Amino acid sequence: MPTSKPDAKILLQAAMKYLEEELLPALSGYHRFQTRVTINVINTVRRELELRGAQAEAEAARLAALLGRDGPVDALNVELCARIRAGAIAADDGSLRDHVRRSLADALAINNPKWTAR
Amino acid sequence: MMNQEETFAARLGAAVARHLGAPGALHNLQRLTGGATKTTWSFDADAGGRRLELIVQLSNAGATPVPDPTAGWGPHLNSDDDARIVMAAERAGVPAPHVHAVLDDADGLGPGYVTGRVAGETLGPRIVRDEKFAGARAVMARQCGEILAGIHKIDPREVPFLLRQDAAAQVAAYYRYVDHYGLKLPAVELGLKWAADHLPRKPRVAVLHGDFRTGNLIVGEDGVRCVLDWEIAQIGDPMQDLGWLCVKTWRFGGKRPVGGFGAREDLFAAYERASGVAVDPAHVMFWEAFGDVKWAIMCLRKGMAFSDGVEPISIEQSAIGRRIEEPLWDFLNLIEGRE
Repeated sequence: MPTSKPDAKILLQAAMKYLEEELLPALSGYHRFQTRVTINVINTVRRELELRGAQAEAEAARLAALLGRDGPVDALNVELCARIRAGAIAADDGSLRDHVRRSLADALAINNPKWTAR
Repeated sequence: MMNQEETFAARLGAAVARHLGAPGALHNLQRLTGGATKTTWSFDADAGGRRLELIVQLSNAGATPVPDPTAGWGPHLNSDDDARIVMAAERAGVPAPHVHAVLDDADGLGPGYVTGRVAGETLGPRIVRDEKFAGARAVMARQCGEILAGIHKIDPREVPFLLRQDAAAQVAAYYRYVDHYGLKLPAVELGLKWAADHLPRKPRVAVLHGDFRTGNLIVGEDGVRCVLDWEIAQIGDPMQDLGWLCVKTWRFGGKRPVGGFGAREDLFAAYERASGVAVDPAHVMFWEAFGDVKWAIMCLRKGMAFSDGVEPISIEQSAIGRRIEEPLWDFLNLIEGRE
């Protein structure tokens, strides 16, 4: 990222302030709904920028432990998916279940933090 | 010269006059929903000496720029067959919309059909929360059991166009969607493998609604008034419909397991009384859990349909794509008994 100020976080905060506090109250019907969805999507991207880096590191470490080898997260996910489908790792395997639960919780912290709190 | 909406209204009025009686004068024409392939309008019409409250559902055949490469992998009825299953449901005593007319080439509106309009609420959050529906919620699990038993009694020979897919065939179809979009998500693989490992043994075979859930029911203060959205009706294991109604997504934040409004025991008991067939809760639970996995993959399909060129990219569909983990989280809790 450039070293200029304000940083990306502040730019997003300023954009969201306008969308939520000024634009949204002025809208109704179709455009109000679409703008609300747009605000939700931008918030998802904001949370992804904040959280995904640390999550990806933890995910890679869990995958390496499950599969017994290191590698980029994407490649390890390809291999884990293939092993699950082939039955090489059982769907009721405790360490698989634990990994999947943690990965889902991380993804929901980005995509819809309210879901795990229900 | 008439604009597009005036041309549409004129053609619709002529179609009403032709099918339902003169003069076909229209009032209060309003577009309710519009998607890439389907549009729904609400209107009133003077026809044959009566004022009718109507809905027309139009399928924009040929409106998509390219054919859907996943077409035929799962159930999806064309407009004429959709009208046929709705009529078969009404004949079987199911509260389905009354079909007044099926449009044909002479109407110039494309495929579609006209039904009666039933007053009531379809929005899930209101049905599961609003005080005015408290009485409805108390009886809806029982009503749904009775309605589903009625749907499952429709003679499959009346609707020979329905796709027949058992659980194993559905698992195979959902693997196809996952591979088509190149998704590598261990939670999805776990869900499909779990389903493949727990397939029901020798289920009955019946006509299914396929999407029987809160959101597709018109509800009044007296309970369920009408069952909508028959376009993925299919032939399969009837317990699929009971499980789908319990999928947590369709509870819309409501606390009760059946559609956010009722108890499983009430649904099962009413179904047993009306159908004479015993319900095994574990068998329904399979379909609820697999329903979570299917809805997850449907989110993927909605989010990625633009990549096939079938639909333009849209903020709403993209946002649905990112809901994939919600039902997978519910799936894991359900199979681990943490619900």
